[in-house]
Amino acid sequence: MKSKILALLGSALLSGTAMAGGYQVNLASQRQIGMGHTGTGLLTGTSSIFFNPGAMSFMDSRGAVTIGGSGIISKIAYSAPESGAITARTDNPTGTPFQVYAVYGINEKLKAGLGVYTPFGSTVQWGNEWSGRYALNQLKLQAIYIQPTVSYAITDKLGVGIGLNYVVGNVNLQRSVPVQSQDGTEGGIELDGSTESAWGFNAGVYFQATEKLSIGVNYRSKVDLRVENGDVMFSNIPAAARGNFPDGTSFNAELPMPSTLSLGLGFKPSERLTLAADVSYVGWDAYEKLRFDFSQNVGGSSFSEAGRNYENTFIYRIGAEYMVADGLALRGGAYLDKTPVQDGYLTPETPDADSRGLSVGLGYNVSDNISLDASFLYINKKERTDASNLSGGIAGTYKSIAYIPGIGLNFKF
Amino acid sequence: MKKFFYKSSVLALMAGIFLTSCDPEIDTPSSSAGELNLTKYVAVGNSLTAGFADGGLYRSGQLNSYPAIMAEQFKLVGGGEFTQPLFTEAQRNGSGYLRLTGFTAAGLPILTPVTSELAVRGMGQDGRTLLYTKFAQPVQNLGVPGIRMENVTTAGYGWNNPLGFNPYFERLLPDAPVPPKSGALTPYVDLVAASNPTFFTMWLGNNDVLGYATSGGQGNITTEANFKTNLDAMMTALLKTGVKGMVINIPDVTGIPYFTTKATASLRQMAAAANAKLYITTGTGTVREATNDDFVLLPSTVGTPEQVGTMTIPHGFSPFNALANSEVLDKDEAAKVKLATQQFNQALAAKASANVGLVDMNAFFNSVQMKEGKPQLSINAVAYSPAFITGNLFSLDGVHLTPRGYAIVANKIIDDINKKFNSRIPKADETKFRTVQFPVN
Repeated sequence: MKSKILALLGSALLSGTAMAGGYQVNLASQRQIGMGHTGTGLLTGTSSIFFNPGAMSFMDSRGAVTIGGSGIISKIAYSAPESGAITARTDNPTGTPFQVYAVYGINEKLKAGLGVYTPFGSTVQWGNEWSGRYALNQLKLQAIYIQPTVSYAITDKLGVGIGLNYVVGNVNLQRSVPVQSQDGTEGGIELDGSTESAWGFNAGVYFQATEKLSIGVNYRSKVDLRVENGDVMFSNIPAAARGNFPDGTSFNAELPMPSTLSLGLGFKPSERLTLAADVSYVGWDAYEKLRFDFSQNVGGSSFSEAGRNYENTFIYRIGAEYMVADGLALRGGAYLDKTPVQDGYLTPETPDADSRGLSVGLGYNVSDNISLDASFLYINKKERTDASNLSGGIAGTYKSIAYIPGIGLNFKF
Repeated sequence: MKKFFYKSSVLALMAGIFLTSCDPEIDTPSSSAGELNLTKYVAVGNSLTAGFADGGLYRSGQLNSYPAIMAEQFKLVGGGEFTQPLFTEAQRNGSGYLRLTGFTAAGLPILTPVTSELAVRGMGQDGRTLLYTKFAQPVQNLGVPGIRMENVTTAGYGWNNPLGFNPYFERLLPDAPVPPKSGALTPYVDLVAASNPTFFTMWLGNNDVLGYATSGGQGNITTEANFKTNLDAMMTALLKTGVKGMVINIPDVTGIPYFTTKATASLRQMAAAANAKLYITTGTGTVREATNDDFVLLPSTVGTPEQVGTMTIPHGFSPFNALANSEVLDKDEAAKVKLATQQFNQALAAKASANVGLVDMNAFFNSVQMKEGKPQLSINAVAYSPAFITGNLFSLDGVHLTPRGYAIVANKIIDDINKKFNSRIPKADETKFRTVQFPVN
């Protein structure tokens, strides 16, 4: 029953295209997106469940609930090496990462919370006609994190918190198979599976150094997602080649959701102005290869493996919030997310490059209990040309951009 | 409150502008013909140039010939029209060709000749050469299946006469034998001279060794002197003032599926497994045990059970039922092929100049040979090798290429053209061209 519901979730709520480094999707809070997705060193309200559980204990209301979501409109252009004549463009569906947070104060110092969010995911759709179709037609990857959290204020300046991540996900990958029939059709392969339940944690420390200055440290652990007995489906395989692509094949695969260590600062030069800066270190080196093990030989081999060899990267973020009037906040931010993909390893799944993000946002208090946040993030990845000779990818030049509007609703009591 | 709505509408407006006007764009270096004038491209060559595939010349093969693929790319940088001697749609199967209709229980391909919609117009005066529908207007794809460098200066090579002739050249010439410079007696080199290209490719010489090799050493190899004399004549015919071109050299013919599919090493293992040895008849008529330096040819019936005296023995697995001379290119014959290929390639390389580039197709085909059973060439996530059927490069005759193979060759030539003449001719999308196609059911 559980997996059925999650399968339905997956179809209704596609997570975002690979719009951060690798396949990470950093869209955890509408307020924080507006501030360049800073927040490790700030009191961010309910979203401290994600940004820094240590800060959750200082939330100023007895309880609060936040619901938010974004729409990722992303586009990737491709041009073949030394040929302006061979081009392609993705037709990605709008990604819809979401977040739900609820926090309840057990007493003055101890708070409990629950977060559900989607920090990793990707839907890339190139179609089955482009020159790279034997590497990828479509990849849909989604991970949902469910995180019960507790946070405790040790002193009125120092808070600690920890959450346990329960992670579920699913993956769907489609490729063309270079086997043709006399009617002109080409074979296809589709891998589809839900992940086994996986566990991780999210821990943080928050310290209010002075009235104006706050510091936070946060660590989100690596989570290995594993698909066991996923379905392998073939289409349009001519009879003579069917022995090579047997029906009833299943696959196993593994994909790491990397760890992230963040250090954040918050600074309030005046009552109305909040400034923030974050640095994150993402443990992408956990992603060494993409390997599928098949229950029966496919194309003459019991597995398919391609190198990824991601490297650890830093993300630098700055953000600001200014209270224009009581109950109305204007926000802005920027970040630089270095790519984990080394030269030679670029793939059409995540044609990644150093990515630059610019964001704006608005916060508005509708009443004492209800507030709204709206954000808009523009992501521009550097144009990148790669031989893709180490990853089984598609050589060429890639350029990605994304527009991500989002809205969130907060309720506190 | 007012302010809020004002601000959000500005935001929405900004978003709208972004969404409609900011698709990702890639600045590709602009294409250019560099030093080349591509208004009239002429391709000179043999069956490979004609688009021959699957044991025949037919319309879809012609449409996917490497010169046709290149001419399409040339059009992107100012290239002109390119006329090929196409068979009509009604006669699309041209000379006929082989089609894959299934596999035997043993996994061997079943190849069936296509015999309808042919372009055969009758029998030649020699009583053995079929005549094909003529193509009267001047053409730029001068690929003539079967032609050797040895033949290019021969008057009457395309003349329907009782002593024999080349029907693919015949169909490009008028019926009347005279006048000699434009009639049926015209030698190939004169037709080439009359084509007046601004840019040419020449891939000739394969058949000067291939005919010998595919016959198991029963034909003849062109002499080096003859090859050089005729090559000189070709270059003189082509290289008028201002003309530039590429000369393409000859791949090692023993690396193609016709010679490698029935690999001697694995046949010997099969024989050993049956407590036997593999025997061949050499070019000198001697019967001896096969070595790994001998090449068993694709059409050989090796291993087929045959009655020898009172016993049934797989063909080749006994000195009394050795493979025939015509089924094997033996070690000594293969050495002659290698030597001639080297000599011819030296002669071709010597023609490189400021106006003539060399395409080292020999090195290219060597580089795609499998190593330790693994393909060495991968383009756009597809592996390519000279393996029969599964290697994606070679068509069902084991000698000529698939459309995909021809596209990869066209891209290799374009690469070399770009290097030689500072041009930026975009390469073709080879994935748009088919490989070997299988029956649906």
